[in-house]
Amino acid sequence: MDFRVRVSPESVEVLLTGRLEFTDHDSLPDIVQLLDDPGGPRMVLDMSGLDFIDSAGLGMLLILQDEAEQRNIKLIVQGAHGDVQRSIELARLNEIISIAS
Amino acid sequence: MDGSAPSPARAFSVVRDRVPADIAARAEARFGLKDDAETRSAAAMLVAGANLDTVRRALDENSFLTVELTELEDTTGAVDGDWLGAPPVEQGFYLSLTTGSAYGMRCAVLVCDELARRGVLRPERRGNIELCLHEAIANAIVHGNMGIPSSTKEQPEGYRLFSQLLKERLGDTTVRQRRIDIFARWSGSNLTIAVVDQGRGFDTSSLPEEADNNAHSGRGFLFMRALAKRISVTDGGRCTLLHFDL
Repeated sequence: MDFRVRVSPESVEVLLTGRLEFTDHDSLPDIVQLLDDPGGPRMVLDMSGLDFIDSAGLGMLLILQDEAEQRNIKLIVQGAHGDVQRSIELARLNEIISIAS
Repeated sequence: MDGSAPSPARAFSVVRDRVPADIAARAEARFGLKDDAETRSAAAMLVAGANLDTVRRALDENSFLTVELTELEDTTGAVDGDWLGAPPVEQGFYLSLTTGSAYGMRCAVLVCDELARRGVLRPERRGNIELCLHEAIANAIVHGNMGIPSSTKEQPEGYRLFSQLLKERLGDTTVRQRRIDIFARWSGSNLTIAVVDQGRGFDTSSLPEEADNNAHSGRGFLFMRALAKRISVTDGGRCTLLHFDL
């Protein structure tokens, strides 16, 4: 998985590409770090470039959600499609995390 | 991470009568394959440091056994055979890789590509089967061969510890050389895939029965339960058998 960051006054946008899976745990501290950088009250995870997510990747989203909550930042997941959307629905993450289309 | 490049002179060899005894014994014990001349004649062997390309090329030979050698086996003269492309002995294949190479190789994609190439897997069935297999392989690598408990992630800052343990274990030669065996077998409309590791196993009665959709771990098994027709765990947690309708 690769990611790019776009910072605006309203939010930090993280654009994920490729596959988010168990071999990507290294990237998580870097994304958590973005929550401490100056930015808006929202973090948007844009998944439109993401092709695959496994259960470990979904676990990372929940960790990010916890970390964001602790800092009063709202985490929004957007652009999930195909296999990524299937995994999110299978795990019923939409009950826990804000998912935008 | 594809590991180091294999020597171009013999990226892999198909060898007759040269399957190392322990690998032949494991194939026989776990999967009921007889260690006879027919099975051995269909073996394909990889050298140490397999990468995605060499594994794909080995699978292209339609051999039954595709096995990555550890560095020790590679340097003791096990691979010097000819290139006799024997036909598969039955409908299936067996792929044995070391943990160091399997990590980051996207093994589930590789196996599903191979099932598709052999005309077993239809595109509309692929997504669910691939995710299910991916989860079994990830468990075998991380919790099995690397010995990292899934509870690691449940503690505060657990993800940092988890990441650190992954790095440590990936640098451990003993861990890197532990095998992950993937055995696919099909007939009619049934496909069975076994994923076997060489870890310490686990208490199979502790598997989650119900979804806690807020937990940081344990979701992989729930995915497998939801996506496979049937799943069984044997050998004290070291072997996961996934059954699918094709």
